[in-house]
Amino acid sequence: MSTERNMDKFSPATDIVESEQGFYMYMDLPGVSKEELAIDLDENTLIVSGKAAATLGADEKYIDQEFCEGEYSRRFTIADVVDRESIKAKLKNGVLELFLPKKAEVQPRKVQITS
Amino acid sequence: MVIDLGSLYNFPYEFDKIFNVVFNPHHQRRRKASYPPLNIIEDENNIYVRAEVPGISIEDMEITITDKNIVLKGERKLPEGRYFRQERPSGVFQRIVSINTTVDVDKVTASTKDGILNIVIPKSESSVPRKVGITVE
Repeated sequence: MSTERNMDKFSPATDIVESEQGFYMYMDLPGVSKEELAIDLDENTLIVSGKAAATLGADEKYIDQEFCEGEYSRRFTIADVVDRESIKAKLKNGVLELFLPKKAEVQPRKVQITS
Repeated sequence: MVIDLGSLYNFPYEFDKIFNVVFNPHHQRRRKASYPPLNIIEDENNIYVRAEVPGISIEDMEITITDKNIVLKGERKLPEGRYFRQERPSGVFQRIVSINTTVDVDKVTASTKDGILNIVIPKSESSVPRKVGITVE
């Protein structure tokens, strides 16, 4: 029972913001360190998975528990307009920030006017 | 179910919790109404209050400690823009933890790591269990 509970899988809360240059994804991954995080891109699927650190140290006991350790996992399908080669990822303060730039050909361009 | 009479024992809350577990067995833990989720932990010398606060820096939070309560206050701001999908909670939050034991208010420390806030509250000398030496004459 306890091992099963420890392996609980969570779908991390995610925000997606679109800008002219691309998409920003923000994912809440509290307790996940850089070493425990994996981001895989498989054709059109982006898979983010991570393991949260143990919430209880040795000799400690819970008085009250509202969150527990577990695994985070979520997959997203990526639109064709995303430039797969230049996806950037940053993990800070338990939030994963992904930047998925749009391909150059779909980015807005200024048209030069010649008189 | 074992009822633990720890030093932070809070009966009405504990009762509600049992009630919830019985009537919503699939809804325990995770994503409760109160934000941020807190774990309250103790060992022999300290009480730890840990909270999941991803993306909130320690400067954006305010921790106030009195003899009876710890108050965690703050605001979570999200970047502005055109949201495609919005799942992360935002806004002002406050949580109050009551302490039913004597603590050393001056030695409380707090730190964050990977989005987990850890407040360490040392128990005062008088509430740490001590061995009493018995000498047999």
